[in-house]
Amino acid sequence: MLKHKPLYQAMINAVSQTLENMVFMEVMEHFDRSYEIPAEDLAWNSLLINDPVQGEIRLAMAKTFLRKLTGNIFSIDDEEITEPQMNDIQNELLNTIVGLFLTNLLEDDQEYKMGLPELGEEEWPEADANTIIWKLMTDEEDALQIHAAGASLVAMKDE
Amino acid sequence: MKRIIIADDSTTARMFIKRCLQIIGLGDAEIIEAEHGKEALTAAKAQPVDLLLTDLNMPVMDGETLVKWVKASPKLSDLPVVVITSAGNPAKEEQLLALGAHRVLNKPVSPPVMMEALADFLDD
Repeated sequence: MLKHKPLYQAMINAVSQTLENMVFMEVMEHFDRSYEIPAEDLAWNSLLINDPVQGEIRLAMAKTFLRKLTGNIFSIDDEEITEPQMNDIQNELLNTIVGLFLTNLLEDDQEYKMGLPELGEEEWPEADANTIIWKLMTDEEDALQIHAAGASLVAMKDE
Repeated sequence: MKRIIIADDSTTARMFIKRCLQIIGLGDAEIIEAEHGKEALTAAKAQPVDLLLTDLNMPVMDGETLVKWVKASPKLSDLPVVVITSAGNPAKEEQLLALGAHRVLNKPVSPPVMMEALADFLDD
């Protein structure tokens, strides 16, 4: 059986490290566990983990939040923001989060392989029994949602 | 003036690296941006370059293949290569260093980490 560290905290730490370093924002668990990002304002992307476990990590956030991040990161005004810039930031956030998540989760000598981030073209997939959900928010109360989907990932869930 | 290649398929990542370079005193360096390893390799062969900063996970040619090609090329084998990746762990780092990478840094990279990694380069 694959040795690993606590899964839930590994993701929270990964998201915190990423947002603190990239956009100077703190991240915590959302105070409202029932909160859902409104579907009409939701942007999501996904990235496959290929080895040593197989699964998919999905990141969802409000388009308004993504737009705010884009303006901050590129230091540009709202009217200058383009969709490719927003997409690129969302993909880079997910790429960094997943890399840190696997580093935090797995033992030091355990290699891993991950794919490239892809933008979600269809509706945000509903969580099923093989999905772990993180509902998070920044210190400015912008919501983020993460799904880890796949039986072998879920098998690593903390007791 | 130093000439530096940044290879990453993400515009955001390249911008973060450029900002780090500016903060640590390399703001006047000529930056050549490449979206994948093949583009970086072509740029490195086309003109003399002082430093190559590369991501690992990229389309067309990944960073690991790029390191192998650079280190196998008589013309480029002395070029310092720093890998900046979200897909790095101690096992991967060891493997990349064995291939000839100068350093392996984890994303998101910060100016102090970049400064420490490029200390030798900055002293020149």
